[in-house]
Amino acid sequence: MDSYSSPPVGGGASPSPEVLMEQVKTQLAQAYAEEFIETVRVKCFDKCITKPGSSLGGSESSCISRCFDRYIEATGIISRSLFTQR
Amino acid sequence: MDPNMANNPELLQFLAQEKERAMVNEMVAKMTSVCWDKCITSAPGSKFSSSESSCLTHCAQRYMDMSMILMKRFQSQ
Repeated sequence: MDSYSSPPVGGGASPSPEVLMEQVKTQLAQAYAEEFIETVRVKCFDKCITKPGSSLGGSESSCISRCFDRYIEATGIISRSLFTQR
Repeated sequence: MDPNMANNPELLQFLAQEKERAMVNEMVAKMTSVCWDKCITSAPGSKFSSSESSCLTHCAQRYMDMSMILMKRFQSQ
């Protein structure tokens, strides 16, 4: 991952542990968001653009919006089904 | 890494915790992908049908069951 190869801020001096923790959190969140968006792109293209036309139709764009919302909802459902007591 | 950092218990604990969180996120993402393909067969509507949402719930649980069976099978080889 590219963002991990960026040098620590402050030139030669090592950042404080607090700064380092913040950086790790930020970069993890960024990597997670990128991966999530990439997955949604693949899934929603598959579901909503079944036959690519000369331009994106209105029904296709509304399908994409719904697909995005449903994918987030599905992530929540899966997460809850794994981590709540059955 | 600065050797002082590698001995900082607070930092080590933070990293272990973030690693675990990342693994959990990864697993949820993977299962969502697999179960989405299995359960959502038509274009997504403005709301999941009850069969779609129960399929998603069951799918994740069965995926775990299956993983256990495969692990046992693998270990008994």
